[in-house]
Formats: sequence, structure tokens, C-alpha cells
Amino acid sequence: MKFKAVFPCLFLALALIAAAAFPATAAKYPDKPINMVIAFTAGGSSDVQARIMQKYWNKYVEEPWVFVYKPGAGGIIGFTEIAKATPDGYTIGGLNVPHIVLQSLAQRAAFNAESFDYIAQVVNDPQCVAVLKSSKYKSFQEIIDDAKVHPNKVKIGLVGPLSGHHLMFLEFNKLYPDVKLSRVFYKGAADQNAALLGGEVDLIFGNINDVMRSIDEFRVLNVAGEKRNAFLPDVPTLREQHIDIVSDIRRIFAAPKGLPADKLAFLRETFKKICNDPGYVADMKKAGQPAEYLDGDATAAFIHSVEARDKALLKDAGLLK
Amino acid sequence: MGATAHPALKEPHMTEFIIPSLLNLIDPLNIALMVIGLAGGIIIGALPGLSATMGVALMVPATFAMDPSSGLVMLGAIYVGAIYGGSNSAVLICTPGTPSAVATTFDGWPLTQRGEADTALYTSLLSSAFGGIVGVFFLLFLAGALARFALQFGGPENFWLCLFGLSTIAVMSPGNMGKGIVSGAIGLLISTIGIDPNAGVPRFTFGSYSLIQGISVIPCMIGLFSFSQVLFLIGTDKTFVADYNPRPGTFKRTAAYLAGRCKKILLRSSLIGTWVGMLPGAGGEIASIIAYNESKRWAKNPSVYGTGCIEGVASSESANNAVIGGSLIPMLTLGIPGSAVAAVILGALMAHGIQPGFKIFSATGELAYTFIFSQFAVNLLMIPIGFVLCRCMAKLLTLRLTFVAIGIVVLSYIGAYAISNSLLDIWVVVVFGFVGFFGGKLGMDTGSMALGVILGPMIEENLGKCLDLAHSVPGGLPSIMLDSGISKVLVAALALSLATPYLLHLKKLRAQERSARCRCADERPENENA
Repeated sequence: MKFKAVFPCLFLALALIAAAAFPATAAKYPDKPINMVIAFTAGGSSDVQARIMQKYWNKYVEEPWVFVYKPGAGGIIGFTEIAKATPDGYTIGGLNVPHIVLQSLAQRAAFNAESFDYIAQVVNDPQCVAVLKSSKYKSFQEIIDDAKVHPNKVKIGLVGPLSGHHLMFLEFNKLYPDVKLSRVFYKGAADQNAALLGGEVDLIFGNINDVMRSIDEFRVLNVAGEKRNAFLPDVPTLREQHIDIVSDIRRIFAAPKGLPADKLAFLRETFKKICNDPGYVADMKKAGQPAEYLDGDATAAFIHSVEARDKALLKDAGLLK
Repeated sequence: MGATAHPALKEPHMTEFIIPSLLNLIDPLNIALMVIGLAGGIIIGALPGLSATMGVALMVPATFAMDPSSGLVMLGAIYVGAIYGGSNSAVLICTPGTPSAVATTFDGWPLTQRGEADTALYTSLLSSAFGGIVGVFFLLFLAGALARFALQFGGPENFWLCLFGLSTIAVMSPGNMGKGIVSGAIGLLISTIGIDPNAGVPRFTFGSYSLIQGISVIPCMIGLFSFSQVLFLIGTDKTFVADYNPRPGTFKRTAAYLAGRCKKILLRSSLIGTWVGMLPGAGGEIASIIAYNESKRWAKNPSVYGTGCIEGVASSESANNAVIGGSLIPMLTLGIPGSAVAAVILGALMAHGIQPGFKIFSATGELAYTFIFSQFAVNLLMIPIGFVLCRCMAKLLTLRLTFVAIGIVVLSYIGAYAISNSLLDIWVVVVFGFVGFFGGKLGMDTGSMALGVILGPMIEENLGKCLDLAHSVPGGLPSIMLDSGISKVLVAALALSLATPYLLHLKKLRAQERSARCRCADERPENENA
């Protein structure tokens, strides 16, 4: 009896060891659903974008995403969730730049640019300078000239504080220290658009995705991009007008720092495939999301350059904590 | 401002779209979506914590698989159902299912305690449908003009509007204004936790990372109203929540009472609801409270409010459903949502590639009018569907109190957690449950505290805008605050509102004098709360 049991036991033990050891190295990733952390509310712009991505993720990968919404405090709550998750490849999430940079520099966030492994950049939403269609201003230069003559008279609406819009305003102030605009902060893009429509402010800096919501009523004077934007092909960039400002908001996907190299490579490869899928490109255009793909390394390099630039801007403005 | 020449606000060829839109509506799929959306919405709304915003947001991805008009019809039906559904739990267990239903508890719950839950439920059903239809009426006929008007509400106007809302504390707790003000002030203080909206730095977080997002309104209200209600219920020696003795013919009697005696109240509350709904930032939770207080202010006998009067339920419920039509006006015409739910629906529209704007009524007119007509249909369909569902929900009163109490606690936790998947929100529910319970024992007013928590962030945000704008005019802050005509009207309304308890007191005194004219008034009480 005892002897009889030894062999099966040995065999079972070997089998168990093999089972434990072998799949650990060769297991297919992913073999279970992946948590996708969204730091904003369901149905918001970030959610809509991620849902479009999911549609094409399902085309290439068997395991789906499970959406986890962690909204609050301008994204800090959700971004922290991603940074603090176990880097096993089963929690990834959407980040926004410059939000994460600003939050770590000025709002005592518990993460910084080093807390993430970057998968890809998927959206580059440049800031625009917009006025009402009925406005007397026909170009940004006219606003600048007017504000030089009448300091503080011209009112500019910004989403903020400590946002991409605010940074563009700081950059503008640095470039034109003698031009005084009165800035008014709004909680979100909808409030900012309403203020421009109601005439509470004379101009706004706003993202394309947001400005497009009321595009019938707005005249977009310039885009703060490196090149013209496909949504507004007739609008010149600020650089074309010899105003050297490039400012935008980027949507990025990332995992917590320390992801195994093979999993990170798989995610980066899959996101690349999604971003080059013609169906995805068409869906993004329909939803008003200015798609622009950057691979993980380029994204990381970009974020570090933003961090250096924003640190200097905030320091000059006395906003560095 | 805004006097510059805008293109004429025409409703281009609305008639052309009527027939195809109505044909779209009688499509069996759309009818089914309306019925399912309504029923689902009512249930979501009735569950404390699962709010209208969440219900609609959860269904947005499902619309990606539908054609845009069916998707919109369904989202609209959920919105209407959920706002109405919130009143059911407000009436039955004194727990507003959605924040919009806070004011419904003031009179709905006393009615239930008196054993007249059926009257309260039917009142809220019929008033909701009435308010909803008034709101959609304005959406259909006056969207363009009203959207322009709503835009006149900038920082200063919204600041005064919020203060006006806050001043209702004075009317809410006339006998006990001191404690009402303290409760409201505590609420305001609580709302300052989190990131400062004007400087962007955290405050009062005591180093705790979770507090950085502040105390969310919904978990706080679940605590103040539902959880404290559980503590109150298990403290009583009753076996059931309240007696429930439905009498035949109540529905007809309620309908006749509303049509006969409450016409003015219903109409005024619906207009207030539509108007507040149009304003970006202000939603149903404020509209229903303002409407309730206006009804009380102008009533012949204000003292019956709060003791279970049909008028109170009718004004709160008609106002919060009228908000729906109002909030869709700036959303469709300008791309600016008038409420949190409208913002979610806007997101769904944009995801379908539909551009909001005045052109929506011509370029995608069939879709726009299908949606608007579906709102009429939904409000009418709500009467039979709501009737069936509210009778089922009233069965709750026949369950043993202990089961109901356990059920409320479970739902409160789920609802609070589901908002942002944060355990902190569950602690908020527990803490505010005790605050509400013991505060109530001390005579504190949970309604005032909730008002402070809701309005605090809006007051602060708009004050910040005023301070920013003050740099641009020579007169500084005072001239910004009082410059526009709307601001002046609101300041006058605010003054009137603050004087109301005094005026009501005078009215009562005069009545007393009339009844006992010969007796001298040497026991006239002092009044220092003018």
C-alpha cells in the first residue's frame, strides 16, 4: 500500500511542480481581463476615447478590458490608482498630460512622471484661441495690440487653475510681459464655452475637442499646434503668426512602473496596431478626438520634456509648491 | 452683453420634421426602448445612491450599437424615469433616491407616516409628468431664445442665485432659524474640504490622500438622509415603517385635487424647474428646493408645509422633472449641458458624431425632433408605468422594519461605493449618518446642512470668477457683482427671501389679532430675526 502510493505521489508532485513552473514562464499574457482605470467620469471625453480603443482591442486580443472609474480632483485620484497598482499587467489606465506633471509639481500628488511605464500616446488635442463669431477681433495680434493699449480690459477664459490652459496662459505672459489680460478660471470646458457665448469673457484658450462643441458660434483664430489640425484645416497655427507657443493636452495609456518587459512590449505592440487601424482612425475622427500616435519611448521622452518646461513656467509664476 | 447681431433664431422647417419624427417614434423598437428605459430609470432612481447620472452614463456604451435616435430616445427615457423614481424612496422611506428628490422628503415622508403613502406617490407621479411636459414644451418652442437668456447667467448671477438658494434655510426652519443657520454653515464648511477651486491646492485634507477629492455630495446626502433614517427607524418600537392602507379611488381623488387646487403651484414650480435647468451648473437638486420654498412663501397657510401637504410634494416633483427639458435646451442648441445628466447625453451625442448647435434642428432635424417628441411620449407613458411600479414599491411598507432597515443600509453602501469606487465614500455615509441622527436630536436641520454641502462649492467657484473679473473694470468687485439687471433682481429676491420669516410672522400675528381683536397684544413675542 505504502509502496504503491509512492509512485503516484511522486508523479503527482512532479506534475504539480511542472504545472507551477512551466505556465509561469510561458503563460499567455493576458489570460484574464485587464482593468482599465479611467480617472474621469463615465461618459466623459476620456471614457469615450477609451471605449473606442476597446472596440479595436477586442479585435486583436481575446481578454477584454474592465473599466474602472476613479474620478475626482481633476484626475489625481485615478492617476494615483494606476501608479500604485501592482505592475502585473492587469491594471493599466489613461493618463493626461500636462495634468500628471502639474499635479506632481504643484498639487502634492503621490506620483510623478517616473511612476509609470508608458504604453502609447493616442491623442494630441492642441489648444486654440477662440472668440465669438460676432467678435471685433479678427486675429490674435489684434487682441494683443488692444490689450497693450487697454491693460486688463480684455478678459480671457481658462479652465483651471493648474491646467494645460493655465500653462499656455503663463507661456503667453512670459512671451508678452507687457500684455495684460484679465484671466478668469472656469471649472470645466462647458462652463468656459458658456462664458464665451454669454460674453462674460472676450476670448478663451480651449482644446479642439471642446471648442468643436460650439463651433457654430465660435471663430477659432489660431491653433497652438506644431502644424495645422485636420479638424480646422483653415485655421493657422500660432507659429505661422510668429507667436512661438505650442500647447496641447495629450491622452496617454500607461501601466504602473515595473511592468515585466515582455508584457510592456505586448501592450505597446497592440496599441500600435490599434492606432494604425483605419476603422479606429475613422471612429476617432467621428467622435472629434484628434488622434496622434506616439510609441511608448517617445511618449516618455515627451513627458520628461514637458516636465522640465512646466517646472520652469510654474517657478517663474511662483506656483511651485 | 451679447447684444451683438446673432443670426435670426429661426426654427427652420420644424413642420417638415414632424411627420418623420412621429413615424420614428411609433417604431416598435423605439416604443420598447422607451418603456424599458423608463422602467429601468424608475428603479435606478428609486434605489438610494444610484442616481440619474449614473443610470444614463452606464447605458451610454450600449447606445454605440444603436442608431443615434434610438440611443437618444432610450437615454432620455432613463433620465425622466430616474428623476421621477427618486421620489418613490423619498416618500416611502424618507430617503431621496436622487439628490433632486431632497425636497420631496419634506412633505412626502410625513404623508407616509400618516398612512397616506398612496396619495404622496400618486401626487409625485402626476406632478412629475406635468413638470416634465412643461419643460419639454419650452424645449420644443422656445429653445433658441431661452438658450440665449441662460447665457446671461455668468459668475455674478450664479453667485446670487446660489445665495438665494441658501437663503431658503430661513424659510425651511422658521421656528428655529439659529440652528438652521448653524447647520447650513457646517454644510458649507464641509464643502471646503478638498482642492481649492481657485488656487488649485489641497486644503483641510489633514494629509489624507482620499480627502483630496473632497466630500462628495451624494454619499454625504445618503448619510444625512438614508443612514440616519435607518438609525431613527431602528430606534422606534414600530414593526413596520409606517401604516399603509391604500384606499380605492385615491388616484382619481389625487388627480382631481392636483387639477383643481394645485394648478398655480404646479405651473410655477415647473417654470422654476425649466429655468433653473437651463442654467449651466444648477440642476434639479436646487430647482426642487427653490420651487418648494416659493410654494411655501406664497401659500395662504405656510405652516402646513412640512407636515405632509400635497402641495409640497407637487412643487418639488414638478420642478425636478421640468429641469430635464430645461437642461436639454442649452445642451442641444449650444453644446452646453444644463445638468450633469445632460452632460453625459452630450457625450453620447458627440460620440455618434452629432454636432450640437442651432443647426441641430435643421441639419439633423429628424433626430432632434424625434428626441423631443419622445420626451413628450415618455412623460405620458410614465403615468401607467409609474403607477404599476409605485404600487409594487409601496409593498415595502408591508415588510418588517428590520428587513427594510437592512435593505436601506446595503443599498446605501452599494450606492455610495458605486459613485467613484472609493471606500472613503462608505465612511462618509456612516459618519454623516451619525451626524444626521444626533444632529436631528439636537434640533439641527439636515436639509439645511445638505443645502450647504450642495451649494458651497458653487458659491465659492462663482465668487472666484467674480474676483477674477473684478480686475477688468474700474469699479472692482462691487460693480461686477451688481452690474447686470439680473443680478439686481436676484439681490432683491434674496432680500425678500431673508425677510420672509419675519413677514410670515407678521402675517400670523395679524391673523391672531383679527381673531382676538379686543385682547391686548402685550404677549407679542420679540423678533430679532428680521
